[in-house]
Order: sequence, then structure tokens, then C-alpha cells
Amino acid sequence: MGIIEEVFTIELPVGENFRIQRCRYGSEFIEDKKAKRISIVSGIHGDELEGQYVCFLLGEWLRNNTNKIRGIIDIYPAINSLGIDSITRSVPFYDVDLNRTFPGSKNDFLPAQIASGVVDVMRGSDFAIDIHSSNVFLREIPQVRIAKSQEETLVPLANLLNIDFVWVHDAVTVLESTFAHAMNTIGTKTLVVEMGVGMRLGYAYGHQLLKGILNLMVHEGILEMEPPKEVRFPIQSHVGEVAYLNACCPGLFVPAIEHCQVIEQGTVVGHIVDPLSGISKAEVIAPIGGILFTLRAYPIVYEGSLLGRIFGSNKEEK
Amino acid sequence: MRRFDIVTLESPNRAPLRIEGFEFGNKDSKGPTVAIVGAMNGDHINQLFVASGLVEYLRQKESEGKILGRILIIPAVNAYALNMGEKNWPLDKTDISTMFPGYELGETTQRIAGRLFETLKGYDYGIILEGRRDQGMCLPYVKLIESGYEDMESVKDLGLGFIHYRPHEPTETVMLQYNWQLWETKAFSIVFGKTGTIDHNASSEVHTAIVRFLSKRKILDFALFEGRVSNIIDPHKITIVKASRAGIFISSMRCGAQVQKGKVMGKITDALTGETLEEILSPCEGIMTCQYSHSLIFQNSIAFRIASVELCCELV
Ligand SMILES: [Zn+2]
Repeated sequence: MGIIEEVFTIELPVGENFRIQRCRYGSEFIEDKKAKRISIVSGIHGDELEGQYVCFLLGEWLRNNTNKIRGIIDIYPAINSLGIDSITRSVPFYDVDLNRTFPGSKNDFLPAQIASGVVDVMRGSDFAIDIHSSNVFLREIPQVRIAKSQEETLVPLANLLNIDFVWVHDAVTVLESTFAHAMNTIGTKTLVVEMGVGMRLGYAYGHQLLKGILNLMVHEGILEMEPPKEVRFPIQSHVGEVAYLNACCPGLFVPAIEHCQVIEQGTVVGHIVDPLSGISKAEVIAPIGGILFTLRAYPIVYEGSLLGRIFGSNKEEK
Repeated sequence: MRRFDIVTLESPNRAPLRIEGFEFGNKDSKGPTVAIVGAMNGDHINQLFVASGLVEYLRQKESEGKILGRILIIPAVNAYALNMGEKNWPLDKTDISTMFPGYELGETTQRIAGRLFETLKGYDYGIILEGRRDQGMCLPYVKLIESGYEDMESVKDLGLGFIHYRPHEPTETVMLQYNWQLWETKAFSIVFGKTGTIDHNASSEVHTAIVRFLSKRKILDFALFEGRVSNIIDPHKITIVKASRAGIFISSMRCGAQVQKGKVMGKITDALTGETLEEILSPCEGIMTCQYSHSLIFQNSIAFRIASVELCCELV
């Protein structure tokens, strides 16, 4: 059985404590220097719920398979617990994105204290998997995003996760303030998974990632058993390029195709329409062929709003 | 005065967003030029108030023929957020003030920032009226980033008491001051007020400081009394006084007050039982420059900040 503990707590003004809870499996391995430790993290953004489901599935699996555990498995389903319980992406009251506040500080405002508490609690973990579900605007296929500087260490690990896509990108300075960056800096190999869409669950994705996490844990000796079968190998971003589809005008975006399709250059991805006049204002055309790995889920758009992303291989482009 | 749209952006259903500019002085004037940017967030009412007050003031000065240079004032960047009590861009909740220098092929707020920045390039001086990002309330101070293009001399002309001078933080590379400096505008920020409301004392101090700046920099032909001699400080050397408990916060001080070691600055009471949980004492002597401004306080929040010539202590 897992041990449920409050690992971070801080007084709120009126008769309540803010808290972060953890369920730990394999605590008997704490003294074992060779045993590895993994942290499964979700809910840094309060409106992203896919990770909560993965935490449930993993907990359920571990309860039934305690005899296979050879390391420490920590599950943190709700980092921004105030946000999760109130459909709030940011830290309520402060309205600050927790994932732009790391590594945080004990001497700063509440969000920074939470961030610093999270880092302290997970310090010493060999691995962390930070599960996000995009946001309410975009739907994503299961993917791991890795900053270029971490490519060598993290890509082999990401390839074990039974996801569809590994995206290595050039780090932007603001990303230095993320959980993943903070943890990678202190030696915890941290993977950021993005999948699904905010405020909703995609049940299939949850099961897909569960299989990947089990696979990774078997590979790293945290579980002792046969690795899961038919683990998929993700598409690697370095073999191609990502094209962005941004809205050219405001309106209601109506997709013409399903998410996650392989499409040709010139395919109509959707239309931007005007409900008032009944006019279709723009046709959204795929600039390259490839897989539509991101598709807008929230239909209201302004000029510039992201409608989708296509990953195409280099040879298709020219 | 010339009133014009700097950026307009169509909305799906709302009336278009307009970022309006108010320009003073002759277009062919050889005098120095300055641009002043007001509320970039929807809760920066104080910044809006000071900027619009300057528009009114300069309209009068222009009618008296007192404008020597050229002045552009942009009171509100994010009018959409101001009009609905939001802090950020109302649809995707991104913060325009962290989208600089902008990107014309990017997301909505990157495009807005980019178009605004096109207009702001080329000014001699750039003044950003900045609100706080936390629940604090401060004595107005200048925030000047060390980028190699900063100009300390002109900043001193404001006559404000404190100049926070330090290298930029990573997150500031996407903010206006840093990017404006890279484009060789002598840019700085004045941080003041309390989010969501107007602090009249701070507003009038900032208004006067900007008028003094315009006068000393020969943009405005009008003489004012001298301001303060500015103290240049490293903001990391300000003593932090934290609340050890959460509850109802009652301050007994005003920003700018001189405090002695051991003085009671405020207290925290239990929000349910009313008992006093903590009396907050000053750990050192100095000037209380900032305080928590919301009535409910969280545990370990920063209740007060005290500036002193020598950092007297640091609470961990
Ligand atoms: Zn997220």
C-alpha cells in the first residue's frame, strides 16, 4: 500500500492550510542506496487533469502489484491543489503561473514558496515525470518536450514512455522558470509530457502513458517484471520541422478534420467563420504535409491565435 | 495634441481593441523625444490614472506653448482587460508586458506587443509606468536595468527617493524596458501604487517626478522645485520582514516612514478568533519602502520591506 503524506503545508488566512499530498510506494527501499526514486507529478496547472487520471491508474496498478516494486515511486497528483479544485490554471489569489515561478524562494510570495517547497520535496529523486494537458485551447497528441540542452540525457528516457512524439526545441529564457528546468538543474531527469486538452480527460491517453511509465520503471529497475508489450517508439522532431498555423483574423474556428491526422500540404484544416454575418472569413490551409499533432479545441480566436501545429518530415517539404 | 490609434485589433464579437496614443509637441521639433507607457495590465489602474493625468496636464502646457520636444503618452495598452477586471489578455490570459519585443507571426499578444514596439522605437527616452505584480504597495521607485544602454543621469532627474539598479533577471528579457534599451532608448520603469486602486499620494509624486524629468531634459519649458537626491540601491539588499502566521493583517505604518529597531509595524490576528497571532516588529532601522496591502495575509508572506544604507539583517 502507498503511504499518503502531506509534504508541504502553509497556512491560509482563514482556518485552512494549503497542502500538497503525496502517495509513496516502496518506502522500504529508502535506506537502499541502489534503489532509484521516481516522482510522478501533475496539476502544476490547475486546469489540466490528464495527469490526475494517470496518477489514479498508476496508483491502482501499484496497489495490485506491490511485489514488483524495487524502488521508490512518489505520486503527486495535485501540486496546485487550490487551482485543481476550482478550475483555476494559475495559483488563485495571486493569479501567477506556478510553472513560471521555479525554482522559487522561501523569501518570496506564496507561489514562489510553493515552488520552492516542491523542489525541496522532490530533491534527490532520480526521475520526474511532469504531466500536463496543454491548456483549454489546444488538443495535443501524447508528446514529450525537451530543451535542446537536455537532448542527450532526456531523449533516450522519453523514447521509453510510449508516447507519439518527442519534440526537442530551443529553450526560451522564460522556460528557465519551469519545474522541469529547476529539477533538471539539480540532477533529477525530468520529462514534461503534454497530452490531451485542458479541463477534460482523454481516457485512452491515460492508459497509453501508464504503459509508458511502467515501461520506463522496468527499464530503470524500479519495477521487476517483463516490460509491457507493444510500446510505441515516438516520432523524433529532429527528422523534420514543425509548422505553426496561426489565425489570420478573428472569429469562430471550425475544424474540418480530426486531430492527429496525417495530412497533405494544402489540406483544409478548418475555417474561421463569422456568426453575425454568416460569412466564412478564412480557410485554414496546411502549409506543409505531415501529422497534425496539435489542433485548437477552443473555437473563439483572435488574429494570431494558434490553430494547430503540423510536424512534417524534411523530404516532404521540398 | 494629436490623438491616434497605435494598434487596432479586431475581436470576434467585441468592438475592436484600440491602443491610443496622445502626442504633444511639433512633429518637426528638434527637441528630445519621450514616450510614456501606462497600464499594460488590467489591474494597473494607478498607472492609467497617472498617464491620463499627464495627457490632461500636457494639453494645457501645449496650449501655453511650453512643449519643446515631442511627447507620446499611451495611457492604456490592455483596455480589454481593464474593461472587465481581468489582469491579462482576456482570452488566453497571456501578459502583454512579457511579450516584448513581440513577433508579427506569433500569438495574439506577441503581435500586439510587436506592433506597439514598432511605434516605441527611436524615442530618446522611454518611461514605463509599472504596477506591482504582487499584493504589495510601495513608495514610488525607479527600476533601472543594467544592460549597457541604461542612463543613470537622466533617471536622477526624476528626483525620486530610490533607484533600484541591478542586472536583468531572465524573465525581464521579454519585458519592455530591456528591449527598449537594446534599441538604444534610455528606458526605465517607475514602479508605484497598489494594484486595482489609486494611491493618490504616490500618483501625485510620480506625476511631479515626470514633469520634473520633462523640464530638466528640456522637453518641457517649465521650471519646478528640486526633487530628492536619489539613493541608488541594490534591491536584494533590502531587509525583508515576513509574516510568520496567516490571518488578518493590520498595518500601522505608511510607506516611506522611518522605523527604529523594535518598533511595532503591524499585527496579524486570527481570522476566526480575533486573537493577536503576531506583532510584527522592525528588525532594524531604516525606511519602510513597501508593505503587503491586502487585508488577508498568507503565512510567510512579505509584510514589510525596509531599506537601510547598510543591510542590517536578513530573515530566512
Ligand atoms: Zn500545463
